[in-house]
Amino acid sequence: MSLLARAVTLALALLLALPVAGPPPAVAVDDLKIALVVPLSGRWARQGQLKKMGAEMAIEEINSQGGIKALGGAKIVLREADAGDSVEKAVSAAQRVLTREKISAGIGSWLSSFTLGVTEVAERLQVPWLTLSYADSITERGFKYTFQTSPVSSAQAEQALDLVVELAKRNNQPIRKAALIGDNTAATVFFFKPLREKLLQAKGIELVVDEVWTPPLPDATSIVQKLRATQPDLVFYGATNFPDSIQVLQKVKEFGVKTHIQGVGAWLVTPEYVKTVGKELLDNIQTVVAAHPLKGQEELVKKFVQRTGEPFMTQDPLCSYAHVWLIKEAAEQAKSTDPKAIRDALAKIDLTTGPAASTLSPGRIRFDERGRRIGAVPLIVQWQNGEPFTVVPVNLATRPVVWHK
Amino acid sequence: MVASELTQYVVTGLLVGGVYALMSIGLALIFGVMRVVNFAQGDFMMLGMYLTYYYAVVLGIDPLVGALVTIPPFFVIGLLVHRVFLARVTGGGDPNREMDAQLILTLGMSLIITNATTMILSPMPRAIRTTYATRAFAVGPLLLNQARTYAFFMALLLAAAVYVFLTRTDLGKALRAAADDPEAASYQAINVRAMHGVAFGVGIALVAAAGGLLATYYPIEPNAAVNFIVLMFVAVVLGGLGSIPGAFVGGLAIGLVQSLTLLVLPLQLQNVGVFVAFLLVLYVRPQGLFGRRARTV
Repeated sequence: MSLLARAVTLALALLLALPVAGPPPAVAVDDLKIALVVPLSGRWARQGQLKKMGAEMAIEEINSQGGIKALGGAKIVLREADAGDSVEKAVSAAQRVLTREKISAGIGSWLSSFTLGVTEVAERLQVPWLTLSYADSITERGFKYTFQTSPVSSAQAEQALDLVVELAKRNNQPIRKAALIGDNTAATVFFFKPLREKLLQAKGIELVVDEVWTPPLPDATSIVQKLRATQPDLVFYGATNFPDSIQVLQKVKEFGVKTHIQGVGAWLVTPEYVKTVGKELLDNIQTVVAAHPLKGQEELVKKFVQRTGEPFMTQDPLCSYAHVWLIKEAAEQAKSTDPKAIRDALAKIDLTTGPAASTLSPGRIRFDERGRRIGAVPLIVQWQNGEPFTVVPVNLATRPVVWHK
Repeated sequence: MVASELTQYVVTGLLVGGVYALMSIGLALIFGVMRVVNFAQGDFMMLGMYLTYYYAVVLGIDPLVGALVTIPPFFVIGLLVHRVFLARVTGGGDPNREMDAQLILTLGMSLIITNATTMILSPMPRAIRTTYATRAFAVGPLLLNQARTYAFFMALLLAAAVYVFLTRTDLGKALRAAADDPEAASYQAINVRAMHGVAFGVGIALVAAAGGLLATYYPIEPNAAVNFIVLMFVAVVLGGLGSIPGAFVGGLAIGLVQSLTLLVLPLQLQNVGVFVAFLLVLYVRPQGLFGRRARTV
């Protein structure tokens, strides 16, 4: 092999071996830089890719509308970093992106376990961080720079249980037995904990199956066998790793288990589910999420679909879209790109109009002293004929709920 | 626990283990003949899954057949990869330095294949929708997933074919000779370097076929390898490094232990059972289950 050929091979190899994120493009001095630390490789890469799509759409909108007016039309620039498939990689990515240059605010990192690590870096470096992650512990550490826009897992568990119990009652199919099945990632753990410890008992519901695994799941037979044997009326389902989730759903069909499946998170309503298991298997499965297109957001969804080629919009792009707009509003109020000033603006913000507020139900954004969004409520999304629709709350729903066994 | 429930656990474990066994045979063959620890083995499995997917989507080939049709192209790919890359760091020179180079090379290949697949094919998971993925054979009280059952029997057939190839054909015997004693084999006019190429080609083709069988019931994504590579290594070491029957039994044993662990431990600790069993076996038989034939094929 010639020297040139060796050099080209080496360069190509290095290029391919690099994480998906590339080198930063050149920016003007006054631009506001937002870090997006999400998985762009590994088993959660798809979710990171969806988050990136939402952030890029918001940035394009803001920049095409004249940028940040209080800063003389400063543009927003995205700095993405690959959180990979482990907490260590996520923390390392955050460290790299936040120390390489001045970053005004950050978004990420999808999986609660990653967010717990990444927000420690952001806190230390004093960069405000917006996250959609659900785990309660994210905002239980007294951090000043972490802002959690989703309802926390324990609150979601309580609210979701109330909603489904009510739905079941209305349909004359009261819930007497329930099952908890899911992996041991942080959001699922925090969702299941209050259900297991008090909430189900308080509603007079017997917990008949409680199975938690460490991803990846080799086989779902034993889990679904237990469901078949105990016949729960409702299954709370938290399988964030796609292959695990597919195995469980396929096995549910194979064993002919008839039960209501109530998912725990937006991972259950991504387009790849329809392609993999088909719409018949998904019909009526519902999940509790922090964000999903609401009544009145049809134009936004249409624009997203045209821009990305995705069949519909889900929580991941919606939240990063809202987060970028929220950072823009904070920069407008702070009149600065300084991360501390933006943090102070976020802590005081009370937003009821604009794309961020209209995306995050119930339409108002303000944070308590822990960084949790006040009044954040979960939504229930249900698969209907191959597409997920918001069905609860009813006033913002895009379809009525369907409930039958 | 009723007997039928226990039987269900055993049968499920064996069905899961069948595909692990086929995956592991390829790795054992490569190690047995070449003394190469191939960290990219799982990535070739993932590529086999994708090829089976495209056979199904573009040409309408059933994935059970598609898995078999991955064998010829991956055999050629294996030969090429050996010729272009591995041959440079195997078959002569300082063994320690060679081992370092091989580890770095295969690890590098793994990173490149995973990232290139993510970049080119996107991280979007895909799946081949087959009717048998969600159907079961009812045998008395037992339910056997059809896709896993077909995959299991095809894995058995392929493993048997490999065994026959290695024990009954001249090429197979030459491979074994090259594995047992490369120097003596070369005195018998066996081209050891060519045998290394064949071993790598067959090893890659087998794992690609295992990937194709896996794709009948498991989603396909660029990082699918991480879910299986450790289990493959455990199977190979458990069976006795480089032993083909050992790797096969090791793969089956892993599936069985994963399943039976659930009788005594919570689901969260399913793989703990595998590693405890692995350590126990190595404590009792450090050379692995088929250790007497270790480093032979």
